[in-house]
Amino acid sequence: MLAAGGVLGNSGSCNSNGLGKSFGCSVFNNSCSVFNNSSNISTWRRTFAMLSFLLLVVVAWGMTGCAHAEDAQKSAIMVTDYWVSPEVLMQGDIGTVTVTVKNMEMARSVYLKEVCMLSREIEVLSKPFLNVGRLGPGESITFTFTVRATCPDGIYYPKILVETEEAETVRYSIPVQVDSTPLTISVENVPEDIFVGERTEIKLAVGNPRLNAATGVRVVAESENIVPSEVFIGELPPDEAGVISFNFTPQMMGVCVLNFRLEFRNGDNSHSMVLNVPLNVAESKKGVELVLTGIEVEATGANSFKITGDINNAGLEAARSVVMRVGTAEGVEGVHPYKAYFVGLLNPDDFSSFELHVKATGSVSEVPLVIEYKDEDGNLFSKIEYVSIGQRAVPTASSEGTHALMVVVLVAVASVVAGAIAYSWKRK
Amino acid sequence: MIEVLTNPDKFFEERLKREENLKTPAFIVLLSGMTSGAIAFLSSLMTVGILGGTLPPEAQGFISVMLVGSAVGALVFAFIIWLVVAAILFGISALFNGEGSFKRTLEFVGYGYIPLVIGGIISAALTYHFFSTVELPTVTSPEEVADAIAALMASPMMQLSSVIGMLFLLWAANLWVFGLKHARKLSIRDALITVAIPVAVYVLYSVWKLATLSSTL
Repeated sequence: MLAAGGVLGNSGSCNSNGLGKSFGCSVFNNSCSVFNNSSNISTWRRTFAMLSFLLLVVVAWGMTGCAHAEDAQKSAIMVTDYWVSPEVLMQGDIGTVTVTVKNMEMARSVYLKEVCMLSREIEVLSKPFLNVGRLGPGESITFTFTVRATCPDGIYYPKILVETEEAETVRYSIPVQVDSTPLTISVENVPEDIFVGERTEIKLAVGNPRLNAATGVRVVAESENIVPSEVFIGELPPDEAGVISFNFTPQMMGVCVLNFRLEFRNGDNSHSMVLNVPLNVAESKKGVELVLTGIEVEATGANSFKITGDINNAGLEAARSVVMRVGTAEGVEGVHPYKAYFVGLLNPDDFSSFELHVKATGSVSEVPLVIEYKDEDGNLFSKIEYVSIGQRAVPTASSEGTHALMVVVLVAVASVVAGAIAYSWKRK
Repeated sequence: MIEVLTNPDKFFEERLKREENLKTPAFIVLLSGMTSGAIAFLSSLMTVGILGGTLPPEAQGFISVMLVGSAVGALVFAFIIWLVVAAILFGISALFNGEGSFKRTLEFVGYGYIPLVIGGIISAALTYHFFSTVELPTVTSPEEVADAIAALMASPMMQLSSVIGMLFLLWAANLWVFGLKHARKLSIRDALITVAIPVAVYVLYSVWKLATLSSTL
């Protein structure tokens, strides 16, 4: 918020008065100096000529000063203060300009006929204040105008016009600055090596290069497996920066792009921007590595199978709460008693046997087995292994050759039977 | 004997002149029963194979008894069916004022079993071929046994076996028409209706069962 105190309604007269006083003192000092050095005639002549010139200047100034004094006596209304909120607008922002109008008369009230704001560059959304009323001696009143920064970056001077009953009009220009420089968000620190299943701290720096403070600053993580999901910074003063950190636990190898959205407010105007952080996730060198071995598939029914085997931890970290279950697929369904198998803690270089019962219908030849485990931080991981159940125990479809042979046999038998029946009726 | 297949009308007409004799028909039914017994034996063998090692040790000794029992049961059942079919045909023909003894009807129905012997041999061969090539699943509960057998019966080879059995049944029914014509002194039309009623019911039931098996797979 910008404020300006003690501003005269007519800025021109204010400046003129100040200058006049300054010149007056200068002349008086020079005159004293002249009278102290009067012994030399030539010097006196030069001094006289200079004094005459200065006298003319003083007379001219006196005439002008009298004119301004008369104007100052007429200007009973003054704009004594103003605020712009937010202090610096961004392009497209909506803000407010508040002005304080004061009646400088000590004994006479003034009727305010109209107070309005005019600007070519900045869009004024408020309507003029008409027939405001009478302003008592020494009283002041504030007017708030809503504006929209539809213009390019720069400093603009919308005018405040105050018209009184006596047709006196006071104009005052208020500087409004438009600067669309946004807040910045950048990566402060990211580890060089990022591994699957390992927590990685990502530090982000949020800076405010603007001329005014940004409020409601927060960073939202838009990608998965990031905690916390958002960090609230709050108000960020100008030319200051804040460092925040997120924990990212990748679940898959390869390049993944993390999206962070920076949100802030400039006044009542919300702004946001997105930071993309590409990361290359590699396989963990010391994490959990679960391997299935000794898989045996035994048909226990027409469509039922028992899958047994060992699950081994070939990694260097312990897998906790290991659970195996039959995955979801068309025609595949886990059945009791071992729809799922709880293995529990699986230390490095340790193994455990498992047993799963599955019902496979249709032409299913592979059964997905889902292996779920947690790390020491409680992060849940899962992987899918496919186990082939081979050729179905019950041949539901024969080969084309067998089909052809069956058709031949059927046709031959049908022909023989039909021929025999027909022949018997013919011989009847 | 071959004349019963080529010219059944003349065969039964001449047989009617002789004394009622059930030896030959009983032998034919015995042959038919043997083919049924062979198929039952193979089916029991399949069931035992499905159950695998889930049977308790004390039940293992009964497996052979179960296999022989199923074969003998099928053999005996063939004779029972012979009597039942003859009784049904005798009863229906009575509605058409049929004349003649039940023994004569039983004799001629027995001759009509000759196509069923041929069909039984073919079906047994197909069943044996199927069971010798299929990989039998093992089950742990009775419900799964039923599912497994149903799945096996729905296989194309077994369905072909059933269809062939029905074709030979139609051939046998053709012989029964001429047999009843002479044994019960019926017109050819009445004899045809008499035979067609039970045979049609059985064929329709078999077709429905085949369709049901196919849909459950």
